[in-house]
Parts: sequence; structure tokens; C-alpha cells
Amino acid sequence: MKHMKRTLWTRSLVLLLAAISLFDCGRSADKPDADGVVVEAPSADSGPPSYGGHIRAAYTSEPTSLDPVLGRSGGDTYYWRQMFDNLVDVDRDLNPRPSTSLASSWDISMDPHSITFHLREGVKFHDGTPFNAEAVKFNIERILDPATLATPRPSFAVIDSVDALDELTVRFNLKGPWGAGLNMLADRGGVMSSPTAIKKYGKEYGWNPVGTGPFKLKKFIAGASVNMERNDDYWGKDEEGNPLPYLDELTVNVIKDETVLSSALRAGEIEVAYLPYKDVTAFERDDRFQIEVMEGGRISVVLCFNIDMPPFDNVDLRRAAGYAINAAAMNKAVFFDRAVVADSGMWPTGSLAHNPDVPRPYYDLDEARKYLRAGGKPDGFEFTAVTWNNPALVPSTEVVRAMLKKIGINMEIEVLNVGSATDAFFHTTQYPLYVTQWSRYPEPDWLASLSYKSDGYYNAANLKRPDVDLLVEKGASLYDPADRIKVYAELDALILDEAWFVPILYGTVYATAPHKVRNLDRLLASDAKMDLTRLWLTK
Amino acid sequence: MLQYMIRRLLQIVPVLLIVTLMVFALMLAIPGDPARALVGPGEALDEEQLEIIRKEFNLDKPVLVQYGIWLSKVVRGDFGRSSQYQRPVLDELRTRAWVTLQFGIAAWVLAVVIAVPAGIISAVYRGRALDYIATLISIGGVAIPNFWFGIMAILVFGVYLGWLPAQGYVNIFEDPIEGLRHMILPVFALGITSCALIMRQTRSAMLEVLAQDYVRTARAKGMSEPVVIGVHALRNALLPVVTVFGLQTGRIFAGAVVIETVFGIPGMGNFMVLAIFARDFMVVQGGVLIMALAVLSANLLTDLIYAWLDPRIRYND
Repeated sequence: MKHMKRTLWTRSLVLLLAAISLFDCGRSADKPDADGVVVEAPSADSGPPSYGGHIRAAYTSEPTSLDPVLGRSGGDTYYWRQMFDNLVDVDRDLNPRPSTSLASSWDISMDPHSITFHLREGVKFHDGTPFNAEAVKFNIERILDPATLATPRPSFAVIDSVDALDELTVRFNLKGPWGAGLNMLADRGGVMSSPTAIKKYGKEYGWNPVGTGPFKLKKFIAGASVNMERNDDYWGKDEEGNPLPYLDELTVNVIKDETVLSSALRAGEIEVAYLPYKDVTAFERDDRFQIEVMEGGRISVVLCFNIDMPPFDNVDLRRAAGYAINAAAMNKAVFFDRAVVADSGMWPTGSLAHNPDVPRPYYDLDEARKYLRAGGKPDGFEFTAVTWNNPALVPSTEVVRAMLKKIGINMEIEVLNVGSATDAFFHTTQYPLYVTQWSRYPEPDWLASLSYKSDGYYNAANLKRPDVDLLVEKGASLYDPADRIKVYAELDALILDEAWFVPILYGTVYATAPHKVRNLDRLLASDAKMDLTRLWLTK
Repeated sequence: MLQYMIRRLLQIVPVLLIVTLMVFALMLAIPGDPARALVGPGEALDEEQLEIIRKEFNLDKPVLVQYGIWLSKVVRGDFGRSSQYQRPVLDELRTRAWVTLQFGIAAWVLAVVIAVPAGIISAVYRGRALDYIATLISIGGVAIPNFWFGIMAILVFGVYLGWLPAQGYVNIFEDPIEGLRHMILPVFALGITSCALIMRQTRSAMLEVLAQDYVRTARAKGMSEPVVIGVHALRNALLPVVTVFGLQTGRIFAGAVVIETVFGIPGMGNFMVLAIFARDFMVVQGGVLIMALAVLSANLLTDLIYAWLDPRIRYND
């Protein structure tokens, strides 16, 4: 018996040691090179693309619909974009790009206001039905019908009617000039679905999408993945005239946990994903991976004020709060120094209307105290802010509280879920300050008309501000991008001067993939979301 | 026994009704405009569209009428449509609940298969090395949060050793081998806490029974130790174990929320959390109802096993 006891002890000791060594070998696999040098990725495009293969990408939230106009989350784009084309496509700088658009050209008329699109010939939907003027008319009218509950409808309010002039010519009759139009059509509203499929599937169309895009739906597993196969009849070609896409198969998996996402990349279970900030350094040092960076992929932290609610109905107090925030310190404390200190307004780095020269509040405690005095509260004041339960926002809001405390402002925090917080701030107006994050919307009017216009969905105060409304309308109506940029610079300066929305940090996107994945530099679209059309795999 | 079963079944009905009422009341307590909530965060619809939503979801009707409409549809199997996913709630829940059920049952079986023998061994070899090891493991099992255990398991077996898939879901009926491989880590992570609890319970129940006079008598009669333990002691020791076993159903549902997130499994736990955040009324109501049904069924099963194990229960109750 004694002998047995000893054997047992020995065995358990061996097991324990084995377990420890397992963890240890785990750690060593993660170590950077001895000298800490970041290994450069080999040139991304060597030789002609090869066809075939299956790429598995991942994204952190599951699709709410594969019908672009009915989806309830901006994250749906990662899934549907691979199966659809837009009437107008834009490059990263928001220049319309006819070569990748379903409309090969367009004419803009100022009297009467209209845009006439000449459609690409020979394009077919995945179900074999032709893409033509009637299909465009059907898609746009579907969005305009309030019963569809299409999310792009508010941004299409300027469209009066759509006429199919002939098989391949369609005219949008407008109520006024629509300079934002081409960019809006490059977003969800301009995505073309098969009218036959929409009629056939009815309410189930959202999970049976039929577009004209490079991939078509093969299998959808709710909550887990969207699996797509090559559309052999795809009309698109690359710059050398090779048919697109290169891949045979594509899967976008749902992986909600950031740590697991990184593990899946390392284990080779997925190829393409956006890295969580906490893992960027480890992946930079891991020579198996290449990283593609896009600054301004989102607004990571923004202070949204209700300018009609005490204490922040006083512009000087809003300014005081803006000047009290040390963005660089927050970046280090919460974002692993991977975000970027905001140098402009709500149009982040790289977007059309981004203007780094606009005067805005930067961290300056003397300035903050000056505005406190000007606002009649030299000793500070108290208020309650709201934020939502995002792993980065909660600590960021705590940092905001600590920083405001330095100038005597005592801020209480209430944490709600994202839906309740958004509702409580913008619609039931229960809080004077909302600390949140914001998606990157490439077209400036998307944000301007929703957030700045007096009747905007994201204008908490809904104060009548004719000067602001005029600028927003002007910006949306002008056709020349240079003229538009001037208007938006003016609008940006006004918003920042009055401190309605004070962005603190812009987010950076780190897209990663192993080296066998090529064309990673073509992955990020103008909205910083994934477009997997041009990726290919080395044999 | 039949009478006992029928009585127990009838007792479920009022409990279920109370559950539906409570769920409905909870959803009403959430602040804000439900029509706007149904659109989802980050999206903007105009007033005309919101009005259509109010009509479609009966939000313009009095609360009791809303509840009545919903309940009358539910008994006919119509749970409505998910506002977030725009699919029938029943379809959505059916596929997801099935996935959760697979993992839940596997975790349950795993917990029992490991815990009961381990508990017995631990009791029989009380105070010896085996007992200490089992105790150590079971304390660890209770103390370690299952999400942490899951992430560590992914790291060791998925990333560094590469033996098992780190995440994802494969339908076991479509590809049995891959399906099974994908199940191993999450099932362990899900079952470990229950396993530890059941093991502790088995051990203490067994110790108590082993100290009884009739066990001593059985031994004195010259019965072999396996017969004493397996036949005479075990059945009596199992009563408290069955209680814990029943209680674990709820725990496994709760654990599924975390484990499904960590392993990327398209089950019901995670889906329900998202539905609550999105205020996806129909899904939350349908989902809670199904979960309540599952827990009630498990309790019923526990009671029936009780009655089978101990005849006194069915006659006295």
C-alpha cells in the first residue's frame, strides 16, 4: 500500500511538472526575437495572383441581416460586402470609381435636379436574372418605402422618384442638388439586390441574399459563420484584366472574444482579422504575420454634450471639460498607445472632411480653469455622465472622471448597455454628457445631417440652429468635393468651438494575416471595413 | 407513480405563467422608446418608419393587451420575429437551443461520469493521497472561473500544442469527428464546475452512508467491498447527489453564456445576452420561456429520479 501511495505521488508530481512545462512552452512561443527587432513582411505582391483556395476571416459581432439595407448593425458590412456591388463605388479617398461600380458612368443635371446613371452591360445577379434599370428602380423604391424599414431611407430623402429610361439607363429625379449622393450610393443604400429574389423570399430575404458581387452565399450558420463561394460569372476584373475574385471560397466567422480571435489567428484557424490593441505588439514581433494599418478607422472616445441641458448648456463649461482631458495619457492607459490623439472633429484621419488645422480643445489645465471661471463655476460643479459597457469605454470614462476632478468637476458615471445609453442620451435626454465611440462614415453628410442638423437623430438637444442647418444642407448639396470640404471645415470649426462633440481619440485599424495571404493592402475599404474581393493565397 | 407524475406536471403550469408575466414586466421596466430600441444602436430611422414599427410590434396597445396577444400566439407556437435578426424567433431559438443542448448534455454527462466515481473513490480512500488529489482538483474546479479555464485550454491545447481546434463550431451530425473535436474543450470548460460540485457532494454523502450501521452489517455478513459500496451504499448516497445534479441544469445554462462567447459557439446563452442588450423583446421572451421550461423539466426529472430512488417520496408527497 505504501508503495502504491508513493507511485501515486510521483505520478501526480510528474503530471504537475508536465502542466507547468506546457504553460512555459506556451510563454516562450510568444516571445519576441531576442533583439526585439520587428521582422519586415516580404513584399506583398510578388508575381501574378494565383487562383483558388479558401480564406477564413473573422469579425467580432454576428450579422443582424445579410440584406444591406435592413441590417441593424454597421458590422453587417463585413459579411454582405463580399456578395454585393454598389451602384457607385468609391476609392479610399472617396473618389467615385466607375471601373468598380455597377454604373459605368453618370450625368448630373442641375435643372431639373437629377442624376442619370448608365449601367454596366451584361451584369447578372447570382440567380441569373439581369441587372438593369428596372432593378435599380426597384431597389431604390424599396428603400424609400417606409414600410421596408430600410436604414438608409433618411439619407435618401432628397430622391423624389426613379425612372428607368431604357434597359441600361436610370434617372434619379431629385428635390434639390445632392452632392453627397454619389458617396451615399457607395454606402448601404446603393447596394443592388436581385428584385426577383426579394420578391421570392419576402421577409426571409435577409438570410438568402442575392447580389451581383464576387462571392455568392453557400452556407449561413446563425451566430457562427457565413460561408461563400466564388461567383464564376462575376463581371469585375483586376488592373491586369484578370477576372475577379481569385479565391474559390470565403468564410467570415464570428469570434466575439478578442483573446480567442488572436488565438485563432495563431493556431491558423482563421487567416484575416482586425487585431485587438492588446495583441498588436505581439503580432508585430511574430514574423509569421503581416499587418496593415489604417489610421482613423473609427472614433475611439468622444465626448458628446447635450448643449441644451445644465450644466453643459453653458458653452464655457463644455470648453473647460474639453481642455481638461489628457488624450495622450488616456491612450497609454486604456488603448496600449495604439489609438491616435484626435486632431480634428468627428471626421477622423483619412476621411474626406478631416481637417487637422481646425482649432480645437487640447489638454491644457490653465485654459480649462480659465473657461471654468468664464462659465461662472470657478470651483467646479457636479453632474452625471452616461457611457456603455464596452471594455474600452468604461475605463476611458473613468479616466475622464479623474481628469475632470483635477479642475474641480465631480462626475458620476452611469454605465448602461449601448442601446439604452444611446437612447437615454439622444432621445430621452437624461444626461448632459455621453462618453462613447463612433464609426467612421466616409461621406461627411452622413454624420452632419444625423448629428448636427436640428432635427437629426443624433442631435440630443434638437435646438433650432439655422446657421448649422444651413451649413449642413449646403455641404450635402454641393457637387465639387473641394467646395464641400470648405463647408465642412467651417462646420467642424463651429462644432469644436462650441464643444458639442469633442473627439478625444481616433482609433486605428490593424488588419493582420499570415504572409501566404496576398493583397492585404487592398483589404480596407473607405469605411475601414473589410473588402475581401482582391485577396489571394500563395500556393 | 403515475399519479405523482401527473401532479408534478400540473404544478409546472402556474410557474410557467408567472415566468411569462415576470419576463414581460422586466422588458417594460427598461427605459426609453421601445420602437427606437428595436431599430438598434447606431442606426437611424425616421418618425414615419418608427410609427410602422410601433404598429407592427403592437407597441401602441395597452400593456395587458400586448401580453395577451403575445401569449395567445406563443401557445400556437408563434414567438414573433426577432427585431435584430429579422427571422422568426422560433427558428432562431430552435437552432441555437439545440446547439446549447448538445454542449449542455455533454457537459452534464462528463460531469457525472467523472464526478460520481471520483467522489466514491475519494470517500472510500478518505484521507489518502487519492482523496487529497481529488479534493485539490475539485476545489480548483469550483474556484476557477470557467471562462478563464476555457481561455487557458484554448491557449494550451489549441494554440501551443495544436491538438484541438481553438474555437468554432462544427455540427456533430454533419461531421462527427470534427464536431467531436470542436466539443472537447468547451465541454470540459463548461462541465468542470459542476463536476467539482457533484464530486464533493458524492464524497460527503458517501462518507455519511458508509458510517451507517447497515453498511457495517453488510460488511460483517462478509459481502465483498464492491457489493457493499456499489449496491448498498451508492443508491442511498445518490439522493443528495441528484439534488445537486438537478440544480446544475440552471448553472450549465448560465455557464453556456460565457463558454459560447469564449469558444464562438452559436448557442442560446450568448444569443440571449445580445438579445437583452439589443432589447430584442420577442427573442428575450421566447428564450427565457424555453430556458424556464428546460430548468423546470430538469427539476421534474430530478423529482422523478428521487421518487424512483426513494419510494417514500412518492407515497408521502
